[in-house]
Amino acid sequence: MIKAVNLDFKVKSKYLLKSIDFSCHASEFVAIVGPNGAGKSTFLSLIANEISPSDNEVIFKDCVFSLWCRTNLAQHKAKFSQSFSSDIPLLVKDVVMMGRYPYFQNTPSKQDIESVEQILRYTGLDQFSGCEYNFLSGGEKQRVHIARVLVQLQNNNKQKLLLLDEPLNNLDVKHQHSVLKTIRAFCDKGNAAIVVLHDLNLASEYAQKVVILDKGIKICQGGVKQVFTQEILSKVYQMPCQVIENPISKNPLIIFGQ
Amino acid sequence: MNKRRSLYLIMLLLVLLVLMIASVFIGVYEFDNGVLETVFNLVFYPDIVSESDRYIIQQIRLPRIVIAVLAGAGLGVSGSALQGLFKNPLASPGLIGITSGAVLFAAVTIVLGGYIKEYLPLWISYSLLSIMSFIGAVLTMWFVYRISTSSGKTNIGVLLLSGVAITALSAAITGVLTFVSNEQELRNLTFWTLGSLAGSNWEKVFILSVVMAISLKFLLPLSKQLNALMLGEKDACHLGVSIEAVKRKIIIFTALMVGIIVCFTGTIGFVGLVVPYILRLVFGSNYYYVLPLSVLLGGILLLLADTLSRSLIAPVEIPIGILTSMMGAPVFMGLLLKYKKNL
Repeated sequence: MIKAVNLDFKVKSKYLLKSIDFSCHASEFVAIVGPNGAGKSTFLSLIANEISPSDNEVIFKDCVFSLWCRTNLAQHKAKFSQSFSSDIPLLVKDVVMMGRYPYFQNTPSKQDIESVEQILRYTGLDQFSGCEYNFLSGGEKQRVHIARVLVQLQNNNKQKLLLLDEPLNNLDVKHQHSVLKTIRAFCDKGNAAIVVLHDLNLASEYAQKVVILDKGIKICQGGVKQVFTQEILSKVYQMPCQVIENPISKNPLIIFGQ
Repeated sequence: MNKRRSLYLIMLLLVLLVLMIASVFIGVYEFDNGVLETVFNLVFYPDIVSESDRYIIQQIRLPRIVIAVLAGAGLGVSGSALQGLFKNPLASPGLIGITSGAVLFAAVTIVLGGYIKEYLPLWISYSLLSIMSFIGAVLTMWFVYRISTSSGKTNIGVLLLSGVAITALSAAITGVLTFVSNEQELRNLTFWTLGSLAGSNWEKVFILSVVMAISLKFLLPLSKQLNALMLGEKDACHLGVSIEAVKRKIIIFTALMVGIIVCFTGTIGFVGLVVPYILRLVFGSNYYYVLPLSVLLGGILLLLADTLSRSLIAPVEIPIGILTSMMGAPVFMGLLLKYKKNL
C-alpha cells in the first residue's frame, strides 16, 4: 500500500534519516518506536508527504505523491501532528467538521453533518459537541483531533492510510486503550495505520508490525515477538530490560530497569 | 448552519439597505421642496426636479453612499482575510502597514507625477494613481509577510512592528513631500492622511465595483481554508488545502482592494480591525460566518461613519478617519489587553 526504498532525509548534509526501507500493507497496524531524537516524527512526515525525501520517493498506492490530486489524496490518507495548534477558537463540532473539508466546496452536505455526528458519538465526544475547543483539557483536545482524522477517512474508498504522531499524549489509561482499539478496528476494515508510539507495552498489545528507529537508522522491523527482544531493546534504549510473556495476551511484556 | 448564515446575511443586508436609503435624505443642502418630495419627484416625475437638486442627489450623495458601502465592505473583508492568514485578530490592513504603503506610493505619484503629468493623457494619470497605490500595497504586504512569518508561524510582534516601521516611513516621506508640493498637491496630501469620501463620483464607483467583484469572487470561497489554517499549515495541507494558493490569493486581493480604496478615499483606519472583532464576539472565529458577514458589516459601519461625519456638526464635515479611529482605537486597546500574553 505504501512503499519506500532506501529513503534518505538530510538537512544541510546532516542525515536525519538514512537509507530506510519500509512498506506497509492493508490491514496492518504499524507502530514506530524508538528513543527521543530517533527520527520517528521525521519519518512519519516523509511518509505523509509533509516533507520530501532527499533521495528516492515514497510510493503510495503505486503512485508517487506528486501525481496525486490534492483532494483525492486527502480522502485516502489523514494525519495529525504531535504539536497541533492549541488556539482554535471554534466549537468542537466545527473542528471535527474540518475532516469533511475534502468532501465539500462551500457548505457541508447533509451526509457530512451526519458523519460528524456519528463520529462524535463513536468516540464518546458527543457531550462536547457544542463546547468551545479551547476550553477542553489536553486529552480531550487530542481525542477531538482523532475524531477529525477518522471522519476525514469515512468514505467508500478501499485501503486508506491513517498516520498518527503520538496520539496517546495526555490520554488517561481508558482512553489510551479506546483510541488504540479504534485504530485497530479501522485497520481491520482493510485499511492501515502507521502510528508513532512511546509506550512499548501498548505497541506490543495492539500493533501487528513494529519499526524501531534509532539515530535516523532503522534498527529492525517485524512482528512484535520478533522485534521486542531483550537484546534489541536494551541496546536501543540503553537501559537494561526484561521481556516476558504477557500472561493474558501472550504478547511480549517489557519491563525496564534491573 | 447554512440556514443560520443566510438569515444573518439577509438581516445585515436589510440594515444596509435601510441605512443607504436613509443616508440619501441626510445632508446639509436644502432642497427647494424639501428632501422627501425631491427624492419622490426624482423617482416618479424626473422632469420637474431642478438641475441643482438633481445634481446633489445623483452626482454627490448617491455615489458617495455607494463608495462608502464598497470601501467599507472591502476594508472589512480584507481585515477578516488577513486575520485568517496571520492567525491573529490583531492583523488589519491599517495596523500592519498596508494602508501606509499604498499612501506612500500614492503620495510619491501625486507629487512627482506632477512633473510628468503634462505629458500623459488624463485617464492614464488617473489610473496611474490607482496602480501605484496597488503596487505600494502589494509590496508592503509581501514585505510584512516575509519578515514576520517563518516556517508557517507568524510572530505577531514583528508583524505589528513592521507596520509601525512602514507607517513611520510613509509619514516621513509624506512630510518631505509637503515641502516640495504646491497648494493643490498639499490639499491632496492632507486628504490622504485623514481620509474623505467627498470626492466620490460614478467613475470611482465603477472601478471599485469591478475590483470588489473580482476580489470577493476569489476571497469569499476561502472560509473553509481559513478555518483549516487554524490547525497549522501542515495539518491544513492534509485536509487537501493548497496553502500557497490561499496565501497568494489573500495577499494579492486584499492588497488590490486596500490599494484602490486608499487611492479613492485616503486613509480610513480601523475598519478592518473593528468589523471582524464585532463578528467574532457574536459568532466566534468561524470564518464560515466571519468572512461573508464582514463584507456587509464593513459596508454598514463605514456608511454609518460617513453619514455621521457629514451630519454631526453640519455644515462642517468631520474627516471620516477621525470617526473610524474613535471607534477602532478602543477596540485595538481591548484586543491588546486580551492577547497581551500571546504577543
